[in-house]
Amino acid sequence: MNEIIWQRWEKNSVNNPDADAIIHWIPGKEPFRWTFSDLFKTAKLFSILLRNSGIKKNEVCALIIRHNPYFYPLYMGVSAMGAIPAVLAYPNPRLHPEKFRQGIEGMSKRSGLDWIFTETDLLPVISPLIEKKENSIKGIYLPFEQDLNAIDINEFEALSGIKDSDPFLLQHSSGTTGLQKPVLLSHRAILDHAEYYGEALKINAEDKVVSWLPLYHDMGLIASFLLPLLWGIPSVQINPFDWIIAPELMFMAISNEKGSLSWMPNFAFNLMADKIHEEDINGISLSSMRMLINSSEPIRKDSNNRFTKKFKKFGFNPAAISTLYGMAETTMAVTQTFAGNKPAQVKADRIELSRGRFVLTDDDRSARVCVSSGRLIRGCEIKIMDDNRQEHSSGLVGEIAIRSVSLFDGYRNYPEKTAAAVHEGWYYSGDRGFEWRGEFYIIGRKKDIIISAGKNIFPEDVEDLLVSVKGLIPGRIVAFGEDDKEMGTELVSVVAETEIADKKEMDKLRIEILEAGMSADIAISNVYLVPKRWLIKSSAGKPGRNINKERILEMKLNKKSGGKHDI
Amino acid sequence: MISERFKKIVLKELNLPDYPLTDEMLANQVPGWDSLKHAHVINALEKDYKIRLKNLEVLNCENLGDLQKLIDSKLI
Repeated sequence: MNEIIWQRWEKNSVNNPDADAIIHWIPGKEPFRWTFSDLFKTAKLFSILLRNSGIKKNEVCALIIRHNPYFYPLYMGVSAMGAIPAVLAYPNPRLHPEKFRQGIEGMSKRSGLDWIFTETDLLPVISPLIEKKENSIKGIYLPFEQDLNAIDINEFEALSGIKDSDPFLLQHSSGTTGLQKPVLLSHRAILDHAEYYGEALKINAEDKVVSWLPLYHDMGLIASFLLPLLWGIPSVQINPFDWIIAPELMFMAISNEKGSLSWMPNFAFNLMADKIHEEDINGISLSSMRMLINSSEPIRKDSNNRFTKKFKKFGFNPAAISTLYGMAETTMAVTQTFAGNKPAQVKADRIELSRGRFVLTDDDRSARVCVSSGRLIRGCEIKIMDDNRQEHSSGLVGEIAIRSVSLFDGYRNYPEKTAAAVHEGWYYSGDRGFEWRGEFYIIGRKKDIIISAGKNIFPEDVEDLLVSVKGLIPGRIVAFGEDDKEMGTELVSVVAETEIADKKEMDKLRIEILEAGMSADIAISNVYLVPKRWLIKSSAGKPGRNINKERILEMKLNKKSGGKHDI
Repeated sequence: MISERFKKIVLKELNLPDYPLTDEMLANQVPGWDSLKHAHVINALEKDYKIRLKNLEVLNCENLGDLQKLIDSKLI
């Protein structure tokens, strides 16, 4: 029988018992350090606890837990007994409890969540879910309220009969609330991915991962948590909420721990370059960084340059900037700038790109600089497809279809979504791009998805949220992503029709729109209120997103340049 | 207690006409004060008060009241 993940962890704990496995970062304090041996032993204890609590093989255990050093062995303990861990985001204080419950309920109906593992603080919010009969949740479990010292480790028995093709984890891909798609990944998919991706990164025994990414995000879970654990190298885990306030924490961890590998979305390059004061990182050295990988949202040349320019004097090697393209459905990486190579860039003619063709240009005025997401990693193939799912010839822009040894086993309990996304073994990503000299360039999305700070948001979710806002005309609301060069990401914008004309009332309405977004943890940045019948309808009879986005942005531009239109 | 000056700066930066700000409020409970805008709000406060707020100091603030106290401590 082929290896399963638990066996790999066991091997690492035997080969490197006293080496650091996970360094749990706590600002202003000594970090909590797990050795491979202690981590593995504690995972066994959790596994015994869970089995004694009636949790069974193949049951899905949703983990809704804040930054906690015991999260890691708990996650491992769930998988040791053949149950399926699924990390979900701990609710932000601004998220309305009812909206949070609706999200979990939606997931439980679709993904079939069996257990919720959480903290005492969240009990009042989650408990009402258990009282409802129509969802699949069997119970709430408070793992950190249990006494691990009372467990006899000799009770541990590795569960027999787990195959490498069995599901290892469940991850929710895209969407914010009810639209999240549950991706099932097997032991085999993750182990193969770790091997081939590690090969592209040239992972070695000296490497150390530093991450502030949330573990419900595929880059956080797969690249920054599971990949190092499988390779037997350490990772430093920083609380994402701490990092967003004080991003220099990442540099402190890199400098103190000699971190060498890290992943983050494009916006983070801008945020760190803008927000970190040089005087606050005096004495810090970034020279150990071998690869800092930009991914999860469109990669911008300016973001990479700003970051490099500012931190070069702290020892950051410009050649360490790297890029990646991947998604939860392919476990994670599909393409990667290989270790030691700088990401390639091409100047593509903007107009030709909009017509679906990639044509090189020297004219900076009409050029869009496209940054490569790298080359295929072993075990992955890409085809550029036209709208009829026929392969395009070289030089044409089309949908990226992927075949991979690490392809997911389908969306759990979603056969229709799986059938729509996977055809003859190829996963249709919905991303648009082109290939040039073996490098892949991702230039946009086929669908209207908004990617803000590495988070995927469906415009439909935002529009649905605003339906109940009094003063807006139902069905006459459009949400879209508005590019913000300064922040290096897209912001969520809304154009909505209203009959209200009084300025004070309009101001009130704007706040209500922002609050409606907050209640579902969606940050709406720009609100454009327009009069009745302003929105242009698409051929389907509904307000079109792209056409109204272009219209409002053109008006905004005119206004900036002294035009008279008011928005 | 949140001062009028603090409130004015925050509301202006977030483009909010008016909104009650209290000591106990968390930053992310203020409409528009999300993680992306956080740096802009802090910059605006620094500029207006002519002070420097270190990120690690801000990290220790649990709510708006704490942030106001941090600012006040720098004005002495």
